[in-house]
Amino acid sequence: MNRREALFSLGSMAAAGSLGSAAAAAELKGFPAQTAMSADHLPVPAKTGGGFRVLTGETEQKTVKAVFDRLIPADANGPSASEAGCLEFLDDQLAGEYGAGKALYLEGPLKPENEEAIMGAPQFLTSPRERYEAGLKALEAYAQENDGAAFHALSPDRIDEILAGLEAGEIDLGEGVNGQAFFELMLQNVREGYLADPLYGGNRGMAGWKMIGFPGARYDYRPYVDRRGEDLALAPVSLIPLD
Amino acid sequence: MAKWIKIAGGAVVLAAIGAGGWAWTSLNTSRSGVADDSVALADFTSDDAEAVARGEYVMRMGDCAACHTRGQGDFAGGYEIPTPFGTLVSSNITPDRDTGIGGMTERDFFDALRQGIGQHGFLYPAMPYTAYAKLTDGDMHDLWAYMSTVAPVSNDIDENGGMAFPYNIRLAMAGWDMLFFSNSGFEPEAGESEAWNRGKYIVDGGGHCSACHSPRNALGAEVAAAYLEGGSLGDWSAPDLTQNPHVGLGGSTAEDIAAYLRKGSDGVAVAAGPMAEAVEHSLQYLTEEDALAVGTYLVSLPASDTPAPEGADVASLPHAALDYEVNCSACHGLSGEGITGMVPAFAGNKGLLGDPTNLIHAMLKGARAPHTHEVQTAAGMPSFAWKLSDERIAELLDYVRNSWGNAAAAVPASSVAEMRASLDAREPMANPAQ
Repeated sequence: MNRREALFSLGSMAAAGSLGSAAAAAELKGFPAQTAMSADHLPVPAKTGGGFRVLTGETEQKTVKAVFDRLIPADANGPSASEAGCLEFLDDQLAGEYGAGKALYLEGPLKPENEEAIMGAPQFLTSPRERYEAGLKALEAYAQENDGAAFHALSPDRIDEILAGLEAGEIDLGEGVNGQAFFELMLQNVREGYLADPLYGGNRGMAGWKMIGFPGARYDYRPYVDRRGEDLALAPVSLIPLD
Repeated sequence: MAKWIKIAGGAVVLAAIGAGGWAWTSLNTSRSGVADDSVALADFTSDDAEAVARGEYVMRMGDCAACHTRGQGDFAGGYEIPTPFGTLVSSNITPDRDTGIGGMTERDFFDALRQGIGQHGFLYPAMPYTAYAKLTDGDMHDLWAYMSTVAPVSNDIDENGGMAFPYNIRLAMAGWDMLFFSNSGFEPEAGESEAWNRGKYIVDGGGHCSACHSPRNALGAEVAAAYLEGGSLGDWSAPDLTQNPHVGLGGSTAEDIAAYLRKGSDGVAVAAGPMAEAVEHSLQYLTEEDALAVGTYLVSLPASDTPAPEGADVASLPHAALDYEVNCSACHGLSGEGITGMVPAFAGNKGLLGDPTNLIHAMLKGARAPHTHEVQTAAGMPSFAWKLSDERIAELLDYVRNSWGNAAAAVPASSVAEMRASLDAREPMANPAQ
């Protein structure tokens, strides 16, 4: 739908009276009396203790770990991605609304031929959960075909080489998998796992926040705004206090 | 409910039947003789606009709407009041002839309001006729005139259907009245100023402050010996209003109290919970002069003998200082100074140093300042039940109650747990294993 079509359909909806029904929506006056928070205002902590729910295959887990720990390896600055809980983070996210693509429009485009040009990025009709399932399978198949070994068993240098090839769009993972976009998805998710609030399963021990000096979910920095050029040594804080 | 209370209640019923002579004082309605006994409210119209306006002021002062207006029409009743003796429902006091008080004459109205003798029998002392007994004839005539202007609403209420035996027997209240009801009007103290007497009249009469701020005995009667020394409302508490320097109004001026009543804050404390409702619906309507009169009277009350709390050691609390900075300081200030008129200070806020019920309640369910004509922000505090454990909440409360010059007893985590259950507040979330 282009802008003209969008405007036209909006006009026809208004003509049909469907916009008129918005007027019947609840109207808030004054101030809300209830300040206790309702469930949809609250974060949803990662489910723990039940094992993996999406990345259930051993090979899948090892492949993700191999990729994640090359993207964020353990070094003097902090633990590796898997040590910081990024696999648990990813699995929890894939098991929930993110994995199901609840926030994504997954119906077919009206005009597939120029969809990518309009949106400026590759578009997918599959959910992140499905993209991981297909992508990890394709990555393992690529390693078996080209190296005769499992992906996770490859040397760090070889893994880096494959990842660099994916990033540059030079490696074809086959039908239905956009290798470059899959690389970007994994890079985005490992960063999220490393730097999101630990309540979501990653950033274990707030290692990610300690590494970059982020003080976490604090409400107010007024006591510190005037203290420039000083190491404030603020301890990072999770939304849900850690002991 | 303890069995002995039921037995005591039964004894009260018997006492009511047996003690006719004694009943004479508490049940004598001769004070109502000044009122007309011929015209029913439904048929009455007042042509005295000033009397109606004065009557509206008396209605606000008495906060009739607090209990009698609850979403079923103005003054149409229906508010369910849980008591230790069962559930009471507030009555329909609109001039509707069948379901309201339209059939009452002015004399009936006087009997009900000042003596708790209603058209269906004795009223329950959840209705503060024990305080309204002090209302002057003039205020009563004005209130009657005002009530005649209220629109009749048909809303049939079974006031005492939810009361347990023997408390569902209205006659039992005759015995209660004999024991606890003082059938006397307001008598000014000759040696005190006009403002003091006006203040006492408002506090003890229409304002019915002691209904919440005095403790009650096992039969629900105010304990006169502990007048305005603070009372419990279950999941809220009403603080000590005497000049107690540790947990009461010691150090407050009449002006501070007047500001609190009219705006919901004296600059340090901010009303919340039922007091915020009282300010919103009733006290903000007091004239400046009347609010000052209440202050003048309250600052004259001798201090209760509640001793200075021993205080708790906060230096060794492992989490409180950081938890306070992260969760509380943005509004309540790094030094517990609050935001004037909007967010309560902790430093020097003595009302928070006695019974911790209100603080626990606010932490678990949030709270809101009153919305008044002068102060409209009605700043809200969110609930912290979802993120802070019982222990962390208790620790934080110990911290704010024992910092910046405060001293108060430690709050047991078990008190937080009990209230979390009774308020049905959310359980705290847990971080995944680290």
